[in-house]
Amino acid sequence: MINEKPTIKSTLKALLYLLPMLVVTITFSIWPIISSFMMSFYTKYDYYNDKVSAIGFDNFVTLWQDPEFHLAVRNTLIFVVGVVPITVILSLIIALLLNQIKWLSGFFRTVYFLPFVTSTVAIAMVWNWIYHSDYGLMNYFLGLVGIHPINWLTDPNYSLLALIIMSIWKNLGFNIILFLVGLNNIDKHYYQAAEIDGANSWQRFWNVTIPLLSPITFLVSVNGVIGSFKVFDQVYALFGGQPGPAKADLTIVYYLFEKFYTENKYTLAAASGVFLFFLILLVTLVQMWYSRKHVHY
Amino acid sequence: MRSNHITQYLVSRVRICYHDDGDFFDGNEGHQTILKERTGLKVTFKDVTLSYDGKIDTLKHLNFEIPDGSLVSLLGPSGGGKTTTLNLISGLLPATSGHIYFGDEDVTKKDALARKVGMVFQNYSLYPHLSVRDNIAFPLKMQHVSRKERYAKAEELAKLVHVDDQLDKKPGELSGGQQQRVAIARALAKSPSLLLLDEPLSNLDARLRIEMRQEIRRIQRETGVTTIFVTHDQDEALHISDNIMVLSFGKIQQFSAPDDLYERPSNLFVAKFIGEPVINTLPAETLKADLQGHVPDEIFAKAVTAGLRSEALVPFDNGQGILTTFHATLAYKQKYGREATAALNYNGQTLLSTEMAGLPADQKEGDFFITKAGFFLFDEAGALIFGGEAHDQ
Repeated sequence: MINEKPTIKSTLKALLYLLPMLVVTITFSIWPIISSFMMSFYTKYDYYNDKVSAIGFDNFVTLWQDPEFHLAVRNTLIFVVGVVPITVILSLIIALLLNQIKWLSGFFRTVYFLPFVTSTVAIAMVWNWIYHSDYGLMNYFLGLVGIHPINWLTDPNYSLLALIIMSIWKNLGFNIILFLVGLNNIDKHYYQAAEIDGANSWQRFWNVTIPLLSPITFLVSVNGVIGSFKVFDQVYALFGGQPGPAKADLTIVYYLFEKFYTENKYTLAAASGVFLFFLILLVTLVQMWYSRKHVHY
Repeated sequence: MRSNHITQYLVSRVRICYHDDGDFFDGNEGHQTILKERTGLKVTFKDVTLSYDGKIDTLKHLNFEIPDGSLVSLLGPSGGGKTTTLNLISGLLPATSGHIYFGDEDVTKKDALARKVGMVFQNYSLYPHLSVRDNIAFPLKMQHVSRKERYAKAEELAKLVHVDDQLDKKPGELSGGQQQRVAIARALAKSPSLLLLDEPLSNLDARLRIEMRQEIRRIQRETGVTTIFVTHDQDEALHISDNIMVLSFGKIQQFSAPDDLYERPSNLFVAKFIGEPVINTLPAETLKADLQGHVPDEIFAKAVTAGLRSEALVPFDNGQGILTTFHATLAYKQKYGREATAALNYNGQTLLSTEMAGLPADQKEGDFFITKAGFFLFDEAGALIFGGEAHDQ
């Protein structure tokens, strides 16, 4: 059986076994991807009758010239750059601290994990209150250190920052758990060996913990980048169905959503989706290339 | 041959020349610089006790002195306190009470970082993300030695342990024996005065184990570093050490040269633990008639257990000092390679002998001889009260 040469019959048999899964995957994953790719090239399209009268690059040209799309790309990039590094570093620090204390560590783990299991809408409501310009906790604490109240949700200069802070907080829990698993998987002997080799605790952190944790760091950052590029629900919930004041929180997916549902420009929405796909692909490839050198399995 | 001063240095350091390889002067040159930096260090324990949980003492009032430049094995059964003792020396474990000295310096309160010993772990613990070169150079990197300098040193050490052709590989690509050599090189990189090895050979196959123990002996002689070697394998300890410390139940059972351990075990535990096949033990009472007149009565009165090495039971007077004769029947004879063992029935006891090869094939019973060497009497507490004469062969 194992060393049998594949024949037409055996291949068909294998396909038959795979059929149920293939049907589901093709219907709900492969076909939508292909059709949205194709849709992004339709320039004259009757959505309701599925009739294509012309194809071309017009949608991409429109995106290229649309200042609103530029804004969406800019906001998304700021969001990714703002959220991912801080999430990775902060969750690593918290995981290290949790790993040090034995007392109440289970309690803190639960506290940090709660945002992950809570609905984004509920979280957004809580943060809506925290960010409230008059009664919010944030401005109260800022007031204690002498900073004037900030209109977090209504000032276009601060609303993207507000979104970033909330997203970092929401992402922490799951990443902390991943880092804790990674930390526990590092053999204690490496630390003993490093101590014998004359490494102080700081040197042990940089020469043992960081390199041996690199697979988890890679996982967390790739996951974070992909998730952050696709940000939508936090925006929708935090600003009550608006892309922030003066579109200050308009992201690529929010742009796509608006084009599709509000403006009924289906082909333009598909084109922005394709753009996002290649943007994520590009960034992930860069990360993969970087990991070849710096991630140690 | 290496230069004269090293030879002199080694001769002055190595007190008991117990070696089985004979080729540790293998003509490697260029280690002089490594050797010059090194001085052995004396390790002294004064009344050291260790308790992990504050209730049960894992080590009880340990007192010993390991001479500088010597190779000492810590030998004993699992859970006897060998690795615990080693970790106390390395500083990975703090002593509950008592004092530890390196040379004249009290290091009891110092941690592993400050004690600066070299150590090889049982599983080697090579950093998987670093090349062999970087692994060996790691302790020097921690001391902020320049890259050029530490790589030069790493290459020198790699030559010493014969892994200089593997420098660019990762530890995962090496065999067990090579990993072990790298671990030794890394431990030696910071020129420690003390090298600790925690069961370094237990992960290797039998043949490699013999090869590596000779290598460890060679490296120790070449560098003159005081070496403490933990093992549960008596054969390993007997072949490699200047002195052996037998540890069991958190106490030192005996601390002496390998030959002494075998020929003059200080108690019943050591007698049983050292030697293959295991020493014959029987109640002293069963030998009473045959020992009458050969053992002073006042000593025999205290004797509870008698121990007879298998080679102490001989069929003829071999002229090596006979203690007494006894009458026994032959139960069976077996031969494995060059070893022949025979079981004798004596007063309802079975005694194993390895010296019955010359016995006529048809002889089923007769008078046998017990040599003075290899015969011991132990008192109620298990302490040696009679026997322990040198084997003069």
